[in-house]
Amino acid sequence: MDEEYDAIVLGTGLKECILSGMLSVSGKKVLHVDRNKYYGGESASICPLEELFSKFGAPPPDESYGRGRDWNVDLIPKFLMANGLLVKLLIHTGVTRYLEFKSVEGSYVYKGGKISKVPVDQKEALASDLMGMFEKRRFRNFLIYVQDFSDADPKTWKDFDPNTQNMQALYDKFGLEKSTQDFTGHALALYRNDDYLNDPAVNTIKRIKLYSDSLARYGKSPYLYPMYGLGELPQGFARLSAIYGGTYMLDKPIDEIVIGEGGKVAGVRSGTEVAKCKQVYCDPSYVPDRVRKSGQVIRCICLLDHPIANTKDALSTQIIIPQKQVGRNSDIYVSLVSYTHQVAAKGWFIAMVSTTVETENPENEIKPGLDLLGSIRQKFVSISDYYVPTDNGLDSQIFISESFDATTHFETTCLDVLDIFKRGTGEEFDFSKIKHELGDEE
Amino acid sequence: MATTKIPEQKIILCGEYGVGKSSIFRRFANNTFITATGRQSTLGLDHYDKVYNVQDKDIKLQLWDTGGMERVASITSSYYKFSEAAILVFSLDNLTSFNTLSQHLLDVVTYAENAKIFLCGNKLDLQSSEPQVSDAEIEAFCEQCHNIISGVYKTSCKTGEGIEKMFYDIAYHLVESNRSRLELQTMDKHGFKISSNEESPEDSCLC
Repeated sequence: MDEEYDAIVLGTGLKECILSGMLSVSGKKVLHVDRNKYYGGESASICPLEELFSKFGAPPPDESYGRGRDWNVDLIPKFLMANGLLVKLLIHTGVTRYLEFKSVEGSYVYKGGKISKVPVDQKEALASDLMGMFEKRRFRNFLIYVQDFSDADPKTWKDFDPNTQNMQALYDKFGLEKSTQDFTGHALALYRNDDYLNDPAVNTIKRIKLYSDSLARYGKSPYLYPMYGLGELPQGFARLSAIYGGTYMLDKPIDEIVIGEGGKVAGVRSGTEVAKCKQVYCDPSYVPDRVRKSGQVIRCICLLDHPIANTKDALSTQIIIPQKQVGRNSDIYVSLVSYTHQVAAKGWFIAMVSTTVETENPENEIKPGLDLLGSIRQKFVSISDYYVPTDNGLDSQIFISESFDATTHFETTCLDVLDIFKRGTGEEFDFSKIKHELGDEE
Repeated sequence: MATTKIPEQKIILCGEYGVGKSSIFRRFANNTFITATGRQSTLGLDHYDKVYNVQDKDIKLQLWDTGGMERVASITSSYYKFSEAAILVFSLDNLTSFNTLSQHLLDVVTYAENAKIFLCGNKLDLQSSEPQVSDAEIEAFCEQCHNIISGVYKTSCKTGEGIEKMFYDIAYHLVESNRSRLELQTMDKHGFKISSNEESPEDSCLC
């Protein structure tokens, strides 16, 4: 450990592993340390099942749960958008070769106490039970407009300026009802609240396009999920970093971040050992005095021995409960994965209900989500604080990632990573630096 | 033009730091050898595909190196996933590297349940008349693990001795076991790889 590094990365959560990989690929000498014995931190998938039960202080699972090590349970529920940023990062870095994926089977939205399939193309719009007959036509016209929309071609804007006019104005242009706006903004554009209505319409149009482009890629739904759970993702990027020379140390407590001249970081200390460095990249848990709490997220892991009702027995699905439907300010997300992804024993399902905490009684807040699940065999609730760094790290050269938010996909995760990389290195990540002749090219 | 896809068989190298896993990888990949002074540790080695023809059947062995992660930390569990075979490597001139094999074996059976396991004593060229690891010890080890070891080999990456023979034999074992297992394999067990290719790997409906 007593060496000098360009960068020391603390914590092996997904964000830190992506950063470590990108830094190593860029030719930096990287030391990557975790205080835990395992890779992944908060983004690890817990295996075996006994470990999950003991983590939450529950008595060990009985025999009906099958073999404990057939389970890999995520602590933070997320899916990948098939055409989203993380998939782009995986492809460009070659990390995709370490992983296998399955398409999530269904995407649903909650309205008036029941769930409906999210309609995304003209055909589905006309068949959907979310809207009345005339509204379907209007929504169909709206979808066609979004589909044909091109940023570069003002002719496709049809007498509407998406850069200056807001999203509400676009909804009004097509005469869409409030409830249609609701599922469009939350289940298609995946906004967590209604602030977007006042933002330029172009942002929302792009997000709806991301949804439909992602859907077009593998069918069924726009979401992908990795075999063996999300914990495979940080491990893939850790391997990338190692292959480009990154050094890994696990089970290594960090006792101090050593600050040198002018408040700049000089190294990290573990016991009596000090590793020198020019920069530190870390998650909030390593620097409690440099982050502030900006909210709370509640996540509830539910083990089920049946699929969710009214989802055509899907082995994986996502359900979004838009805020207004249940009188809230932020959406509730339900995600379901199962034995088909090698994350549960045969016949078992793992559902996760999550949202941003708004009241003193967070468990009560997720009730509409839990009610959709039917009988729950085992439930684990966690409420975690959401931390953001107090500064941008340029003065101290300590770059801190934000905690994982309540969204069910990785778009905000990747934006944070790319932004940190840019702040830390002064440049955008250059994907061409990755040599693809690592092995498999013939 | 339609091409028949040759099944890929992931094979992983396991064993202590410094026993020559990357040297085996280099011999497999481009039949070269770099002396200890000419390199640092494993850098830039990921995996490599090579086709073997066994009993008129083509089989593609895909060999994976550890990436040097075992130097100070442990190897990620995902390294083991989807592997069909694991080669436990030790150095014939280093008894410790042999004695720690049981830990590596445990990792393999935990994370790669279905992998066939092979044992490889490397650095045959360094073995003196008084071997550090005797044949009797190797045999005893195989017995202790209830004969789950499918094959034992002695190799020298320096001279190249035994390397090709080992991989050909592993290919043979995998072809044999695939034959009996083929009907058991269901598509459900596997997902797909994502690629920049616009074509979807599955037959999704194009409406």
